Amino acid sequence: MTAIPNLIIETLPEFLLHAITLERESVERYEELGDSMEVHNNPQIAAVFRKLARYGELHANEIEQHATGLELPRIPPWDFKWTTPESPETGDMEQLHYLMTQGQALIFALHNETQGRDFYAHVAATSTNQEVRELAAEFAEEETDHMNWLNAWIRNLADPDSVSPEDLDPPNVTE
Amino acid sequence: MHGNTPITGLKPKDYKTGIKPVWCPGCGDFSVLSAVTKALAHLALPHQNVAMISGIGCSSRLPAYTSVYGFHGVHGRALALASGLKAARPDLTVLVAGGDGDGFSIGGNHFLHACRRNMDMTYIVMDNEVYGMTKGQASPTTAPDWTQSKLTPHGPGVPQFIPAAIALVSGATFIARGFTGNPNGLTKLLVEAIEHPGFSFVQALSPCPTYRPEHKAWKKQVRPVEEEATSDPIIAAQRIQTDDGMSTGVLYQTTVPVWQPEQGISADTGQLEEVFFV
Ligand SMILES: Cc1ncc(C[n+]2csc(CCOP(=O)(O)OP(=O)(O)O)c2C)c(N)n1
Repeated sequence: MTAIPNLIIETLPEFLLHAITLERESVERYEELGDSMEVHNNPQIAAVFRKLARYGELHANEIEQHATGLELPRIPPWDFKWTTPESPETGDMEQLHYLMTQGQALIFALHNETQGRDFYAHVAATSTNQEVRELAAEFAEEETDHMNWLNAWIRNLADPDSVSPEDLDPPNVTE
Repeated sequence: MHGNTPITGLKPKDYKTGIKPVWCPGCGDFSVLSAVTKALAHLALPHQNVAMISGIGCSSRLPAYTSVYGFHGVHGRALALASGLKAARPDLTVLVAGGDGDGFSIGGNHFLHACRRNMDMTYIVMDNEVYGMTKGQASPTTAPDWTQSKLTPHGPGVPQFIPAAIALVSGATFIARGFTGNPNGLTKLLVEAIEHPGFSFVQALSPCPTYRPEHKAWKKQVRPVEEEATSDPIIAAQRIQTDDGMSTGVLYQTTVPVWQPEQGISADTGQLEEVFFV
């Protein structure tokens, strides 16, 4: 993997701050998406996002354990070493739709996990700090597990490629 | 930003109320909420020292979702309300939020004079080039050839309002443009705007997935401004006027005296309650 200049993480506290932020922002985003789907009367997809938030929460707690006793740096949101506009597992909000299907929601989540895996893999391949490299490789493995789990879930769907149903009362029809 | 002793350890989430936004999934305004709360957490501002004032519109719902003081006001009057508040309580960090309809149509005149007055506040306009809340009519920033509203089937036919240019000639001392597809970049602009002494105007390009689905293309069109922010209004005017409206960053910043009326509070809340008894 080629190193992206200026995005190389050298110390354990810096890496853990990135990892914790990645996981916490992902949980918050899934909660927010769950709320949003609930408000727009799409309870099935709200439940999918809630489930993803619950799993994310467990993972975030686990990662936070690694930081026990460490003083983490303070980094402004815009100076994090992401290659994505936000932290890698928050997803592209534009992909959302109030009538989105389970297949679409899971593909959205899979994309997030892939970006998370890529972030950790980049750190594992480029950090000059051995401890950071090893931990990042471990986290990349875990993200790969999440991707496998999501892929299995997608495969088990009756219709993974389903498109959003037609809205018979779309919001942009003038009364 | 005045009179604020920072409280460290606050997270962006601590500035959210927990009320579920009613915005459509995919709406850019979610990212503005995220950027505002990240900016407040970064600046570690105590909740009770911040007020979020808005008008009416989808975007104007922001005060309901931020756990600082809030006033969801009257359509087009957010800046008038905010100016009154700032006059009475100069110690507050005053944030003002709304849409392009709220700020540039019905509130257009307030916009000019708020820029000119240069009170110390930050005005965030979530520009989706449409009236979202009232179901998709053209706004002042809608292109003349946009034909998707039944009210303007041949397009509005009049040139677009250029918010940054109007802010500049009206006297705003900080002018920036951000994009909701880059929430962390928008956060940086908001932090700079809040820290700027004087009237800061931030135009946040905020796609409307429901009435302007073609805004998906914005992601490919926005780009960072090429030059550093200028304090020269002639250079800024030239850049703004020759730009396609899609470059993001600080477009202009200068320091001139902030306008703040001298008088202190002349009535206590008990007296106000008597006057406004219903
Ligand atoms: C005095 C008055 N006139 C008109 C309206 C109707 N109205 C409500 S929101 C709105 C425009 C909303 O557009 P914008 O400010 O761009 O916000 P958005 O909903 O797109 O975020 C209008 C015209 C009103 N509420 N009050």
